[in-house]
Formats: sequence, structure tokens, C-alpha cells
Amino acid sequence: MPIDRTLTRRASIIYAETLLGATSGDDSAFEVSGQLEQVLATVRGSGELRGVLADRTIPAERRSELVREVFAGFNAALLEVLVVMVERGDISLLPRVNEAYIAAAEEALGSVIIDVTTVIALDDGLRDSIKKKYSAQFGKEVLLREHVDPSLVGGIVLSTHGRRIDASVVSQLERARTVLATVSSGGDR
Amino acid sequence: MKRSIRTIAGAVGASAFGLAFAPVLAFASEEGAEEGFDGIGLLLPKLTEFIPMLIGFLVLWFVLAKFAWPPFIGMIDKRATTIRESLERAETAKVESERILEENRLQLEETRKQAAQIIADARVTGEAVRAEVIAQAQEDARLLVEKARAAIETEKKTAIAQLQSSVADLSVSVVGKVIGQDFTDADHRRLIERYLVEAGNLDAN
Repeated sequence: MPIDRTLTRRASIIYAETLLGATSGDDSAFEVSGQLEQVLATVRGSGELRGVLADRTIPAERRSELVREVFAGFNAALLEVLVVMVERGDISLLPRVNEAYIAAAEEALGSVIIDVTTVIALDDGLRDSIKKKYSAQFGKEVLLREHVDPSLVGGIVLSTHGRRIDASVVSQLERARTVLATVSSGGDR
Repeated sequence: MKRSIRTIAGAVGASAFGLAFAPVLAFASEEGAEEGFDGIGLLLPKLTEFIPMLIGFLVLWFVLAKFAWPPFIGMIDKRATTIRESLERAETAKVESERILEENRLQLEETRKQAAQIIADARVTGEAVRAEVIAQAQEDARLLVEKARAAIETEKKTAIAQLQSSVADLSVSVVGKVIGQDFTDADHRRLIERYLVEAGNLDAN
């Protein structure tokens, strides 16, 4: 089992480094990281798509066509790497490839990539505030991958390197709801 | 009885003997009357009449003593024996009756004692059973009340929890809708800036 994990990790790193090597320029590497995040979200969100891409009874050509159709317009190198993963039956490695790619890209760019999710699109002032705060923490340039999610109701969610800060209104409301539902009334004594 | 009859017969004989010599005095008196004392002579029998009468009397006495008295005495004796036996049987029966009566009295007394003991035992047993039944009923009632209280308490807690949960859901839903509808982009930016200031460190190192 440890050998399997090692092989899996090495395969993920190879895919990530191949993808990073195929991209040209810092902006492209950062852009591909965002697109790779979208691919991961799409595959996670659709069990049917995930099942088809992992089904080896379906011809590899058909699955490759499906990848090109679903993710049309994405970076060409990213599409090629995805096609290879699907043909080799390695689509389940996508989350590890994403992590390995971000780590490799951050190292190549000398930056830290932070995912930022808010209800509204960030303006320059908010971007500067976020970058200023966290570049001071990491001692590196901060690159933001921005996402808009109205279900947060308000606030902000930050995540990078497996750490996550959830300062959204919906999570605070959930905590408040839990406290209200579990706190003793104290009136039955 | 037989001796008495014999005594009577003896007395009758003695009287007859007396009467046999009494005429001597009568004859003397009669001679006296003939000599001038007529009063007493009227009472005394004449010797010529007295002797045959005496002889007849003796014969009669002999015949009676020989033939009449024995059966009569036998009958009297038999009657006396019967009466004596009857008296003895009556005495025996009386003693037996008194013995049976005493026995019955003792048995009755014993029976009364046993009945009293049975009643006393039954009273004690009944009292114990009554106390046990009352205690059991009280225990059952206490358990029933405890169960009812526990059930009511559980229901109450469940209802309160459900109410709290419903109120919490409703409150959060209302707050979420108010924020979602009433917050402008500027409000959201101010909120993000505030949370950003309060947000912790993302650097794991």
C-alpha cells in the first residue's frame, strides 16, 4: 500500500510538471492553475462525468473527445494532459495533480497562490488588501485565484496549501444556528 | 325387701300368738261379767269361737306362707331387682352421660380455642396481606408517576429542542435573507474588509 501511494504521488507530480513545462510564461502558468481548479470542480460536481471518464469499457477515443468537448476553450496543454490522464485511466489523480501543480507553479513563480471566494467580485482595493496581508505572512508575492459564490451570503473564504479561513456570513449563521438550537433555555428548573 | 316382708310375716304371727292368749284374759273377764262385770265381756271373744278362729287363722297363715307369700315375695324380689338394675343402669347411663357431656364440653372448648386461634391467625395473615397489597399498590403508583414524569420531561425537552431548532432555523433564514437582499456591494466590501482584518494566519509554518 505505501508503494501504491508513492507511485500515485510520483505519477501526479509527473503530470503536474509536464503541464507546467508545457505552459509558457508566468501568466499562463497562473491561468492554467485557475483552469485546472475549474476542471477539478467540474469533475467533482458531476458523478456521471466522473464515471464516464473513469470507465475503461468506453473507448479511449470517445472519452478523449468528451474531455475536449466539455473543457473546450481551456489551455491547450491542459487539455492534452487531461486527455492523456483519461486515456490512461488516471482521472482519479486529478486532485493530487492539482495540488502538485500549484506547488510546482508556486515554486516556479516564486509566489503563493491563494483561492479567494466572495459574494461579489473583488475590486482592486480588496485585492491589494489581501495581497498585502498575506505576502507579509508568506514573505512572497501572492497570486489570487478569485471565485464568486452567492451562497456565502457575505464575507470571504481564503484557502491555500490545505489551510482554509472561512469568514463567510453563511458559516457564521450556521454556527449561530447551532448555538441557538443547542443552548439550554434554563427555564425548566 | 325380702327381709322386710319376712319381718311383717313375723309380726303377723306374733300378733296371732298374742291373740291366742288374749282370750284367757277375756274368759277371765267374761267370768267376771258373769260375776257381774258385763261391759268388758262384750268385747272379748268367746273361747269356743276363739279356738276355731285361731286354728283357721293359723291354717290360713300357713297356707299363705306356704303358697301365696313365696310367689309374691319372688315377684317383689324380681321387681326390686329390676328396679335396682334399672337404677344401676340409670346411674351408669348418668355417669356415661356426664362423661360424654364433659368430653363434649372439653371438645367444644378445644374447638372454640382452635376456632379463636384460626381467626387470630387469619386476622394476622389478612393484616399482613393487606399491608403487602397496600405497599405493592403504593410502589406501583410511585413507579407509574415516575414513568409519567420521565415521559413528560422527555416530551418537554424534545418539544423545547424542536422549538429551539425551529426558532434557530427561522432566525438564521431571516438574517440570511435580510443580508442577501439588503446588502449593497459597498456593504459587502466593508464586511469583507472587516473580516479580512479579523482573519487569522494562512501560513502553516
